[in-house]
Amino acid sequence: MGTYRADDDYDYLFKVVLIGDSGVGKSNLLSRFSRNEFSLESKSTIGVEFATRCIRVDDKVIKGQIWDTACQERYRAITSAYYRGAVGALVVYDITRHITFENVERWLKELQGHTDSNIVIMLVGNKADLRHLRAVSTDDAGSFAERENVFFMETSALESLNVENAFTEVLTRIYRVVSRKALDIGEDPVMPPKGQTINVGSKDDVSEVKSVGCCSS
Amino acid sequence: MLSEALKIAEVGGRRVISLIVAVSLMLLFIAGIGSVYNGKWFLFVEGGSVSGGGGGRNGFSLIGGGGFWTSAVAPSNVGIAIAVTAMAGLALAVTIVYSRSYDVNSSKEEREWIQSLNRKTYDNLQKQCRKIVRRLEKNSGSKENAENSLYSGDLSQVIGSGTDNLTSTQRSLLNEGEVSEKEVLEKEFAGKETSDSTHTEGLADDEVVQLPHLSKEGDAEKYEGDNDKSEITCETASPVDSESSNSDTSESDEPEIVQPFLSSTALNGNDLIESENLSVSGSHNRTKSPSDEDFAAWQRIICLDAVRTNAEWIMHSPSQASITELNARRLAESVGLKDYDQLEPCRVFHAARLVSILEAYALHDPEIAYCQGMSDLLSPIISVIEDDSEAFWCFVGFMKKARHNFRLDEVGIRRQLNIVSKIIRCKDSHLYDHLEKLQAEDCFFVYRMVVVLFRRELNFEQTLCLWEVIWADQAAIRAGIALSAWGRMTPPAPPNEDLLLYAIAASVLQRRKLIIERYSSMEEIMRECNSMAGHLDVWKLLDDAHDLVANLHDKI
Repeated sequence: MGTYRADDDYDYLFKVVLIGDSGVGKSNLLSRFSRNEFSLESKSTIGVEFATRCIRVDDKVIKGQIWDTACQERYRAITSAYYRGAVGALVVYDITRHITFENVERWLKELQGHTDSNIVIMLVGNKADLRHLRAVSTDDAGSFAERENVFFMETSALESLNVENAFTEVLTRIYRVVSRKALDIGEDPVMPPKGQTINVGSKDDVSEVKSVGCCSS
Repeated sequence: MLSEALKIAEVGGRRVISLIVAVSLMLLFIAGIGSVYNGKWFLFVEGGSVSGGGGGRNGFSLIGGGGFWTSAVAPSNVGIAIAVTAMAGLALAVTIVYSRSYDVNSSKEEREWIQSLNRKTYDNLQKQCRKIVRRLEKNSGSKENAENSLYSGDLSQVIGSGTDNLTSTQRSLLNEGEVSEKEVLEKEFAGKETSDSTHTEGLADDEVVQLPHLSKEGDAEKYEGDNDKSEITCETASPVDSESSNSDTSESDEPEIVQPFLSSTALNGNDLIESENLSVSGSHNRTKSPSDEDFAAWQRIICLDAVRTNAEWIMHSPSQASITELNARRLAESVGLKDYDQLEPCRVFHAARLVSILEAYALHDPEIAYCQGMSDLLSPIISVIEDDSEAFWCFVGFMKKARHNFRLDEVGIRRQLNIVSKIIRCKDSHLYDHLEKLQAEDCFFVYRMVVVLFRRELNFEQTLCLWEVIWADQAAIRAGIALSAWGRMTPPAPPNEDLLLYAIAASVLQRRKLIIERYSSMEEIMRECNSMAGHLDVWKLLDDAHDLVANLHDKI
């Protein structure tokens, strides 16, 4: 699990969006996961950016296409188009700023409005390295996640703590959903035709993921 | 002044660049002062083109600078240094025109009046900001509540300003607010002339100039609903003068850099009680449109972005780079900037200035308020302009066009993406067909370039070069250099309002082969565009952009 692949040979392509308040570290989570990089000086994201990385689950290669969007309200309309086709989401807050945690509820609502209900969601408390500044307790966040029925993990993009796990977990869950669905409708779960879109939900606008040429980002 | 400018020009790149931007920023606003000057501009333009020897290779469109530009864009690219010196020529030429037209058309008194009016308006905005910040701090005793309302403010701002009706109401409210605020300010000044004049010379001057013009003020404030508030932003202090005085700066001068701000703080502190009594009508009008909660939401994001601004500017502004820690912290504290512990003093200072000016802008233009990306646009400006009020008004002029990119209804950004798309279609139908096939013909992949004008793709120096040329084109247009006049001079590319968009299209066209042959999805093209940083040659880009303008301007 979690090995880099340089070729474009993958079995599944899943689109995952990163959302959350400004400055919670979304871009650094992405760069840590996709390139193993971290920058204290990363600027605000304008528009949308994305990166990809392949991981292996069971004997399948799963390509995660992770979208990082500008989070200020002003940019919502134009970026909301990029929720389309998302089958996973990491809702990120900053454990040192309580308000970013309070806003998680709004982000979840936003997701509901734009994506299918089967989307796999993980609540991510980032900046866990700043222990002395913690403003949101793990328990609070954990029980909130339970209530909302989403997965939960605390991460530190700076210390590379749990970042890999968080993304891998989400991608794996999506994979499980997809294979289960495939089983349910009697298709061969292990061999979905390559290049076809993968639909975890019922709405038509979900999973318009196009096949992208290469895994290396 | 001229010889000083020359001297500076010869010293080399960094300072010259500052000079250029300062000058061209002024350029931005000259036309705004009124059409009276058009004639003068026009005269100069023709004269310039004659002496410039009939223009350069790809016609860098600014007149007078034509000859210089030619060398700047020579294929061999002799180097930034030469280009920069060349631009100094342009800057100088512009400076001359600028002062000339001023001399003919305005009296010193008028200029000073405008200047003091601007300064006062800015100080006033600052004062309001500080007041709100203080109120917010007072209310945040129960921090959680404050943060909750902060969040709802964020939402209400979005929902609230969703309709044009409301925003125009906001705007008129703001204008009213400004007028009455101004009146209040008058009273304050009239009443406290002696006590305040001890703070700074600048303010003392303001008072002197201000009072005789009380009657004019009402007129000056009757703006159209349009965003034309920034009409008056030419500071009389020439950038050359300010530059040279800064180059003399030793440590003893440091407090002076903070001065414009400190002066308003001082004023603020003294006036707080009094102005709260006096300005009931004014400030209440205003707080109706952007509420304290709105403001808090903006401030939060502004601070966040301010401390994330990178340090590229430092080498271009030695005097600001050498700010003392004490001054930096003092300024940061007064604007409510926190969480800067990891930063060096000069960056704290830079961030605090960003916050201070962006907050003022948010009040000045509550429809746009603050939007991420705006700090990218302001940072280069404050790097070369050390006076906050001047920098603010330059930014206002800059935003006159750029603000449309940040509008909620997205009309501005869509219009611009549309033009990029059109340029590509006209120039390269093969590429356009390919984009259509990938459903990428809306050119969303250049979104970031449009919003922050290549700031993320180019380094500091390159950005200034590009912006300078773009502004020069826009200034030429505003000054009435029409196509017909241009035709007589026969350079290949007339000035174009949307030169930026041609440059963006050029950057895409430079990658046409890659896009057509290798990329089979919009995502791949977007990744390519997002990773242009560090791979662009600004001169080549401008060359190509001018070629596009020359070939397509009548088709777009």
